[in-house]
Amino acid sequence: MDDLKRRLLQRIIRTMPTQMLKTTLSKWARLNIEQQESLDFTQPKFLLTDQLLALCGESGLGVKHITELEMIYIIDNPNQRLWHAYQLLEAGDDAHSVEVTNFKEQFKVHLTELIRHVSIKIKKHTDEAVWIRIAWGDRSSRPNHLKPTYVVHHLQTPYVFVTNLTSKTMPLLSQALVMATRYSSMKDANLSGRNLSAVRDLLMKQFQQVFPSKHLQPLGKKNQINSNPQIEREQDEQSETRLQIACEAFGGGTLPELQKAIYTLETKLKDNTNKIMTEREQPFRCVVTFKSTNILESLRHSAMTGIASTPVTPMLSSISQKGRNHFLITDKGPGPQRKL
Amino acid sequence: MDRHTSVARTPVSSVVVQRRSKSHRLSYRSNVGTMSHLGYTPGFSKRRLTTSRLAPKHSRITEVNPEQLALLVREWQLSYVTPLYRFRHGQLKSYSRQLAAFMVSEQQQGVAAEVGLESALKVSFTLVAGMAQTEEEANTVFIQIHSKPPFSAPDDPQKLLWSGWLTSVGGNPDYLRSLPEDFVCLPLFCSGGTEGLTALVKAWFQQTFDCCFGPLEINSVNLQWLAALWTDCHARSSIKQLKLVWSLPAEPPLEVTYTVHPQDAWELWRSIRQPGERGGEEEEDGSVGLEEVACFIKGLKSHFYRHFRVELSAGRLTQVSTALGSAKHGGRLKISNSSYMITTLTLLTECALLKMPI
Amino acid sequence: MSTLGVLGHLSKLETQARKRKEAPPQQSGLEELKATVEALVIQRDQLKAEIKANESVQKLRSEDPDQSTGGGEELGEGADGSDGSVNSQLLQLMARHAQLTDLLHAHHLIGGYDIIKTCQGNGLCVSLATSYEGVYLERYSLEIDVAPKLRITRHDVPTFVPLARLAEQGGALQTNLRGFLGSLSRHLNGYAGRKQQLKLVKEQHKSVEVMESNAPCSILILLMTVPQVKDIAVLCKLDYTDHTHCLPEEVTIQSEDKDLLETTQWKNNCTLLKETPLHKALATLIQSGDIK
Repeated sequence: MDDLKRRLLQRIIRTMPTQMLKTTLSKWARLNIEQQESLDFTQPKFLLTDQLLALCGESGLGVKHITELEMIYIIDNPNQRLWHAYQLLEAGDDAHSVEVTNFKEQFKVHLTELIRHVSIKIKKHTDEAVWIRIAWGDRSSRPNHLKPTYVVHHLQTPYVFVTNLTSKTMPLLSQALVMATRYSSMKDANLSGRNLSAVRDLLMKQFQQVFPSKHLQPLGKKNQINSNPQIEREQDEQSETRLQIACEAFGGGTLPELQKAIYTLETKLKDNTNKIMTEREQPFRCVVTFKSTNILESLRHSAMTGIASTPVTPMLSSISQKGRNHFLITDKGPGPQRKL
Repeated sequence: MDRHTSVARTPVSSVVVQRRSKSHRLSYRSNVGTMSHLGYTPGFSKRRLTTSRLAPKHSRITEVNPEQLALLVREWQLSYVTPLYRFRHGQLKSYSRQLAAFMVSEQQQGVAAEVGLESALKVSFTLVAGMAQTEEEANTVFIQIHSKPPFSAPDDPQKLLWSGWLTSVGGNPDYLRSLPEDFVCLPLFCSGGTEGLTALVKAWFQQTFDCCFGPLEINSVNLQWLAALWTDCHARSSIKQLKLVWSLPAEPPLEVTYTVHPQDAWELWRSIRQPGERGGEEEEDGSVGLEEVACFIKGLKSHFYRHFRVELSAGRLTQVSTALGSAKHGGRLKISNSSYMITTLTLLTECALLKMPI
Repeated sequence: MSTLGVLGHLSKLETQARKRKEAPPQQSGLEELKATVEALVIQRDQLKAEIKANESVQKLRSEDPDQSTGGGEELGEGADGSDGSVNSQLLQLMARHAQLTDLLHAHHLIGGYDIIKTCQGNGLCVSLATSYEGVYLERYSLEIDVAPKLRITRHDVPTFVPLARLAEQGGALQTNLRGFLGSLSRHLNGYAGRKQQLKLVKEQHKSVEVMESNAPCSILILLMTVPQVKDIAVLCKLDYTDHTHCLPEEVTIQSEDKDLLETTQWKNNCTLLKETPLHKALATLIQSGDIK
């Protein structure tokens, strides 16, 4: 147990800058002021870990408390992980009346019914989000606190954000969530990213969407794309239109930070200069990945500068409009030709 | 259509040959005329080497020797080197000692301290057999720098600090022949290790063999060549995937990775190859034309454009990789399979020769 | 002051005058008649002026409907001669007012939504404004494909608004676009109203702690303090079950002091919370000293 405490603490401390560690410890409030002040933050981190462990021993703090510390840290710094979005489907009649206490209780009951060895911690954050930390065990082993799953859910919305979930634990989580939120099922929303708030904003449509309007909005000024006043002056009507189209496709203002968009293409290669390939029955299999520090901004810029032709293809505008960044594209069927 | 002989036949080269005797610093560029590097204008194809290459053959070397294996392990940073003056393959042992001494003296001058040479060094120069393609071509030289920790036992494993090699594979024989006797041409320099150490090794070479080094970038055209040549190998040795990376000048910069299923990449490549014209279905003897390479890439790009309506041509091809190897625009190379190593290195040797200043 | 009104008035006066003519002249009424004439002359002049003013307004509007706002005095002069700037300004304002009234009328005719055509007429873009207590709040938009059938292609409606359900309900989107937009607008206005109230509560009543709220602002839990000898904490849960409403359907109050909640005063307070916008209800409670 002491070893687990040490390893947990080590991992938390190793990844945290000193200043952050100080504030997190005070938020944690498990050590009294004197204890907190006695900590020497200038010493090497492995020594600091030892000192903290000793203090934890002094105050009788166990694994449970240390996971709490981890949770505080993760809630404040969610962007060091890859978050996957899931969507809850078919809300039940009473879904709108679920509130936190109720949800906490239900979730714990249902999950522990499904799996005996599991450790669950739920915390309501100030931004209305419910945070869940789950350490999974299996039939014979105790919960593994070193590989916890984190789940973020805003009550009364159909989305759930999850990090570090395995295919084995996915059905369990899904069932417990569905029951606690009074929905009927949960599916992959095909969206993932390192920036939790970006993933959330995209799905909850909390970014500036631009619609066709009678009154042309001064988008150019808002976006500050050209800082050079001369270039700005030279922007003719055409580029104004391009700007409007680009913003309609990807959004206006500062856009949510997504790092990747991945398309798996299984479509026929049609090229009128290549008869052999065009006549080939099988699809041309390839995977295309767009990467940037902010792909939506990059794509919007591409549409404005003409690297991407306008009108922008739904393949690209779906990222912001549908809130997805994983796509499988096939030729199948006359109906929804593109399985977006 | 052997490209070497085609060069020899042209009158241009014979004129150049006469001039050679006068200057040992003969420009390789003057020998072969405008190169593929200037883009593909398939006008006067025959004389320009890189409009056509031999399709990759399974390496002549049936058994890969251990020295060659050393070339596969890591990713290398490429440079070109001008011919080495009075380099002797017989004196590798002495060079080992000299380079070690040089490093120590630099260390004492405080230069090497920055690159972390606290412990004793062991330098070894070795020959890598079976790389040279012709009689005239010099053998490849492989260099390793190991460190001996201060308190280690004699049989403790040594830590490899740096390795690198100088090679020439399939260099133009006319050019090689034209070099004065005292010069050895090993134009391609591959280094792996810290920049500081690489700089020291380069400095020693410059000082000892009156040569100079320069960075070797692999431009778009050559990356495309590699993509095509590697794809061509798929029928004999699986390439697992063909991965091409483009960098587009958006704000913030956009990187597009295009990974093609190996079978589909190969079928696209086959559909573009013109077997009738190129003299037969025998894959072993075909040559690959620049137009075919261009057509292959164009096919890939147009498929991309049809879906995304994004112009890849607006950006730059920065990386190509398959199970056989990977190459990056910045001049980084990894060879993962020895079988087609010769093809890759031939292309890079040519790049290095072209890059050399007059 | 409409044209019809003026003409009506004139005909009324005419009839009156006719009646007078028909009546037998009265000896004693000469003075009276003179006075009447005078009055009528004044009235006629007034009416003439009104007609003129109206004509000028009409002329102003037809001349340049967009610039009638510009307060250009030249325009006034053109219409009203040398009547002075006060009059001409007044005319300008009248013209503008009439124009806006017409616009508003037209706006009501299309259901009060901003609708524009997109994609060369193959699509619509509807924009719904929300407001609460006369303050305009967020605007939400829907892009709708017209052919082959109406289909929402893009929107920025918050996820918790059951857009799909509203669109499907009785084929509302296909057959009753106005009805669909109406119910959507009620949902959006309900949300905007609740959100605005919550914002105001947080701004105006710092002593009341918002313990819990959710994305649609449909469940609120407030912590209030009742000042007594010893402060008593009261938890108040407001449940807005009907998401189109800005007032809670259910208000529950919890406190350790059970007796307090049984008082008529607090029962009235509950009713107040149910029937009055939250920030106002809290203001009343604070004012009456029921809470801090």
